[in-house]
Amino acid sequence: MKARTGWLGITLAVLGAMASVGTLWMVFFWVPTERTMGVVQRIFYIHVPSAWVAFLAFGIVAVASGVYLWLGDERADMAAQAAAEGGLLFTVIVLTTGPLWGKIAWGTYWTWEPRLTLTLILGFIYVGYMMVRSAAASPEQGKRFAAVVGIVGALFIPLIHMSVYWFRGLHPDPVILNPEGPTADWEIQATLYAGLLAFTLLFLGLMTLRYGVERARHVLELREAA
Amino acid sequence: MTADPAHDPATGAAPDAAPRRADGLGVHALRRRFGPHVALRDVDARLPEGSITTIFGPNGAGKSTLLKILAGSLRPTEGSVTWRGDALDPRAAEWRARIGVLSHETHLYAPLGARENLAFHTRMHGLEKPDLDAALARVDLLDRADDRVADFSRGMRQRLALARTLLHDPDVVLLDEPFTGLDSHASRLLEGVLRTLRDGRRTVVLITHALSEGLALADHVLVLVRGRVAFEASADGIDPDGFAERYHGLVDAADVPGVAP
Amino acid sequence: MTGPGWLSVVTAVAGKDLRIEFRTRSRSLTMAGFVVLVGVLFNFSIDQALVRPQDIASGLTWITLILSGLIGVGRTFAIEKEDGALAGLLLTPAPRDAIYVGKVLANFLLVYAIVLLTIGVFGLFFRLDYGNHPGALLGILAAGTLGFVALATLFGALTASTTLGESLLPILLFPLLVPMVVYGASASGRLLAGRPVAEVAGQGRMLAAFAVLAVGAGAALFGQIVEE
Repeated sequence: MKARTGWLGITLAVLGAMASVGTLWMVFFWVPTERTMGVVQRIFYIHVPSAWVAFLAFGIVAVASGVYLWLGDERADMAAQAAAEGGLLFTVIVLTTGPLWGKIAWGTYWTWEPRLTLTLILGFIYVGYMMVRSAAASPEQGKRFAAVVGIVGALFIPLIHMSVYWFRGLHPDPVILNPEGPTADWEIQATLYAGLLAFTLLFLGLMTLRYGVERARHVLELREAA
Repeated sequence: MTADPAHDPATGAAPDAAPRRADGLGVHALRRRFGPHVALRDVDARLPEGSITTIFGPNGAGKSTLLKILAGSLRPTEGSVTWRGDALDPRAAEWRARIGVLSHETHLYAPLGARENLAFHTRMHGLEKPDLDAALARVDLLDRADDRVADFSRGMRQRLALARTLLHDPDVVLLDEPFTGLDSHASRLLEGVLRTLRDGRRTVVLITHALSEGLALADHVLVLVRGRVAFEASADGIDPDGFAERYHGLVDAADVPGVAP
Repeated sequence: MTGPGWLSVVTAVAGKDLRIEFRTRSRSLTMAGFVVLVGVLFNFSIDQALVRPQDIASGLTWITLILSGLIGVGRTFAIEKEDGALAGLLLTPAPRDAIYVGKVLANFLLVYAIVLLTIGVFGLFFRLDYGNHPGALLGILAAGTLGFVALATLFGALTASTTLGESLLPILLFPLLVPMVVYGASASGRLLAGRPVAEVAGQGRMLAAFAVLAVGAGAALFGQIVEE
């Protein structure tokens, strides 16, 4: 059982790594430079897939948390924890690449661009999720607390999303930009999809490996307790 | 198994129910872990209905953990609890309506008066019209009924907590170290009230490490050591003087050097 | 055995909390003092040659609500933890969600009273004009307060059982308050600027949705938080 998650994790991670190398090749040597935004637009092939993975991970956290609270299955909690750690990693990538791009495109490291704002808030929820897990009085309570934070966070994400979009409506950004807009060539789209695939595989691989580690720790704990 | 057929008429239970009554509360292969620490290791025990079971054990033996599982405030890692032979979910509201729990924590609101505390408890149990005066008189607090708990001594608080525990006339009474920190007045009063609970109808579980008090009240005795049942017997056959020696022998035998008792 | 009625538990818990607050005044006095002092400090933080206090009073009101509310709601479970009162409450057949709603109700009344004080103090200090639509303003603030209190009560119960205690509360709470601040500050700002009520109906609906979501999530999950 453990060995199986190990192999699955390694396979996914290796596939993800290979796809990532392929994506990087496409980004640097294959895809043509976007006409209006120039070379800096290439950061989007990292930025957008990372954001997708960050939110995908949070969806997994919420669903696994719900399963854990309903059924009390330890494996669901381990999956949630593994997804949260991977998700936080990709959130950090989004929040690093976003300002790098923003500095060149908008002349400022930070704007309250709604998607970026939402990712920042998602990052804070992830941090809270990690903190309650470790700060609880008992490990079991920590798991339940984390699950509650994960579920409540996921319930509020749509409302937060709506509010930051609505807020931007009041304060328009200097440049309205849409990376998947009508100007996107097929090469641009292909590179973006390659990035999405690569990062999703990479994330799932990391998550499965992390899950395997947690699972092994659990088994060890049981053995120690026996 | 303790024999208590003498108490039976109090409940008016059907005669064929009598053999099952002896089942009372049962725990089966009960196991509870806190991370790597195991508080209960595959505990099997009977807590007979209609009698007082005293559970002895050194600190960290898992006594409170067992009681919390019976009270539904803690989930077992593995194993099950039964009542009269049927599976029981101690976390169900119906079960919580039937139990009374007294621990060293008093569960009282200090800024509220004695009567207010009981009245609040009444609402939480949905009782129709409880006799709060009688409940207060039972623990000798009627003259302080409207004083705030904040001004009460430890003994008075524990007496009020006892009144709260018994207010809804629970079938099952769970007591976790109720004698801790009590003055002699409160201690005697508590003992007296506990004796009145031996009406054959109530199942009482008493946790203590006070050997003589615990044994004096017990119908049935259980000793937990390091999360395991080390001894289980009816109190009738136990000689109080020999028991202390026996008990310390059990505790010492399980003791590993370097582990605090 | 009939068991306690749901509403009866709600009112009993709320009544108990309010009675304790009325006796000790521990939270209301701290919060009231906080609000007045914040008003004084805000006054000195505004360079009136650059901005008019009226222009930023709306946002300040919501931030004051959040900070004073943290003081109040953060304390509720400290009181409950003394002598294991909450543990005792959970040993009764009272439904968990009713206990939660009762606590939310008591906290709402307390925090909303402080919000009214804030409105009064800020109105006086910053010469605000509430003449146009005071009812709409109070309604907007009520919805925001309810949502805030519902989340703060849920997470207050959670942080009270952690080693970090109340210091963890803002970290969990603030990210989720973004919609409340966005819609709330906008709505009250427009009302203070004398804009018609119809212009803030959308924000009002979003605040109501925020409150409903918060109370619903809290009622559903509170049982998981308080269990040992």
